[in-house]
Amino acid sequence: MPIFDQGYQHWQGAISGHGLRWLAITRQGVRQQLRRRRTKWLVSVAFVPAFMLAAFLVLWGLIEQNSTILQPIMGLLQSLPEEIRSGPKSYRTAIWTWAFNTLFDVSQFFVMLLVLAVGPDLISQDLRFNAIPLYLSRPIRRIDYYLGKLGVIGFFLAAVAIAPAVAAYVLGLAFSFDLGVLKDTWHLLVGSVAYGAIMVVSAGTLMLAISSLSRNSRLVGATWVGLWIMSNVTAGVLMTSVKQEWCPLFSYTTNFDRLRDELLDMPAAREKFLGLWKSGQNAAQEAVRPRFPFFRGRGRRPPPLSAGQTPPMLTTPVHLRFPLIWSVEVLGGLFVLSAWTLSTRVKSLDRLK
Amino acid sequence: MLFDLKSIRKTYGRITALNDLSVVAPLGAVGLLGPNGAGKTTMIRTLLGLIRIDSGEGEVLGINIRRKPLQVRQIVGFVPEDECLFPGVEGVEFVAYAGELSGMGRTDALQRAHEVLDYVGLGEARYRKVDSYSTGMKQRLKIASAIVHDPKLVILDEPTNGMDPAGRIEVLELARDLCKNKGMSLLFSSHLLVDVEAVCDHVLVLGRGRLLAEGTIAELTRSERPIFEVRVKGDLADFSNRLARQGCTFEELDGVLHVELPDGRSQELLWSTASDAGEQIRMLKPLRNTLEEVFFKAVSELA
Repeated sequence: MPIFDQGYQHWQGAISGHGLRWLAITRQGVRQQLRRRRTKWLVSVAFVPAFMLAAFLVLWGLIEQNSTILQPIMGLLQSLPEEIRSGPKSYRTAIWTWAFNTLFDVSQFFVMLLVLAVGPDLISQDLRFNAIPLYLSRPIRRIDYYLGKLGVIGFFLAAVAIAPAVAAYVLGLAFSFDLGVLKDTWHLLVGSVAYGAIMVVSAGTLMLAISSLSRNSRLVGATWVGLWIMSNVTAGVLMTSVKQEWCPLFSYTTNFDRLRDELLDMPAAREKFLGLWKSGQNAAQEAVRPRFPFFRGRGRRPPPLSAGQTPPMLTTPVHLRFPLIWSVEVLGGLFVLSAWTLSTRVKSLDRLK
Repeated sequence: MLFDLKSIRKTYGRITALNDLSVVAPLGAVGLLGPNGAGKTTMIRTLLGLIRIDSGEGEVLGINIRRKPLQVRQIVGFVPEDECLFPGVEGVEFVAYAGELSGMGRTDALQRAHEVLDYVGLGEARYRKVDSYSTGMKQRLKIASAIVHDPKLVILDEPTNGMDPAGRIEVLELARDLCKNKGMSLLFSSHLLVDVEAVCDHVLVLGRGRLLAEGTIAELTRSERPIFEVRVKGDLADFSNRLARQGCTFEELDGVLHVELPDGRSQELLWSTASDAGEQIRMLKPLRNTLEEVFFKAVSELA
């Protein structure tokens, strides 16, 4: 085969700084993942809850304005409690908070699935094919390598969790025609972004650490599923048998739930709905009926409430009744463990061959 | 100067990989020889700024390896011995990725990837997945990804390992072309001395983390005292007796005399002796050591 027939030209183009060198790894990883049908399919499905959130926020914006567009469904809206119909703006924060919380509750499942689809290959493949020197012999550092790999997971998680939440927020804001919305709900935007970022960092580093433990990507995937499901099962078993406050901590995803509860200020939203319920026993009975789309358990009528009994939907779920700091410590501990695992498993080339 | 290492010491626990290694290598193609465990890989990693040395200082093309390792790697291309290729990636994508890791923009990296793939003779295979490449093609692909950012120094670690003769020759030609015609310096680490001889002008021989021998191949293979290979047309015994009377020492090997001249005498002595004996000299050339002999001599001295 003839070689050198095209000659060789020296190259004098621009070279980017070292600070964003990790982006090259992320870009390549994202490109590679987007070639896979299963990833594209999963991302598309994961957008569905976000579309629903956006649609709900737009609908709520129109309800607040008493828009004539809602004329065809006015009959349905009549079933809302009188307090909400007469002053929807006073329930705005609670409704938005509930809607965002529901979005993240649903999208958490897709997040875990996406991490499973995207993550296992990230480091285990490099270990399998001895590709680490390919990176480290270039002008990048080990931290750039980790950041680049984390960026791949971050991209997909942000795409299905953070970006849709922000887009839905902007859409809801646009349809409310009221800048007061910004004042009432800005904490949701900040909370959503913070929650998404925590999920990216925690799930991302954990998956990278697991990925660095084996050269077999399937084993890595199975470990992730095992961690996800077994931690939930363990927490569930402990909650029914030991019945201690700390039992839910064993569930990886419950720690996210607890964090989200605080970041989105769900207790305040529950309080607001509780107030609505307390305004009258009869009205409260109406408030928890399934016709309100923002309450869970629709499709079946709640049991009659005795005086003084609070509807379960309006109280903090049993599995989230523990101090926030415990979840912070669990997730922080997992992060430290993941970082330590990465630093020991993905070694520099400063070792004997 | 290509690189300058001063009193480099590197230990891994009880094992001393580099033992007070000091070496200055000139620009051009430099061969790195040494038995297993001699410290070649550690020296290469030291040059790339990939390891933290215990003591000593060093520079590659004037850049300090301790203080500016990223800058060193920016101007150096490395062709590792391991395969280092992950599957499912096209050749052009792989090389462009290497360019991006070196800081090139995506468009520049892609354009440059096409150029260097043409140069190494993989233009036709650029859109094939790298896992379908032959060993020789993979080696050339690694070279392409090492030169994509136009480095000033290319380090090749055992580049001809496991290759068929044709592929080996192509890689050697490529390495020679990079050095002789494209102005790049090479550090060529290999167990195959003939490959080093084919590409390099200068050689470093390492053993137990120390420099055992260094110099140009011409210098190293030159005998300490001039020895000539001589073949004559007529009576070899008579000619050799005449040489002995002139103070020469000799050895006969397959009809060829290896003659060591006495101090202060030149090859003119051979001509005059032949003239006196009425002999015709059919071959006369200075005897040179092979690189293999140099290598074994250096290593055996260490032992």
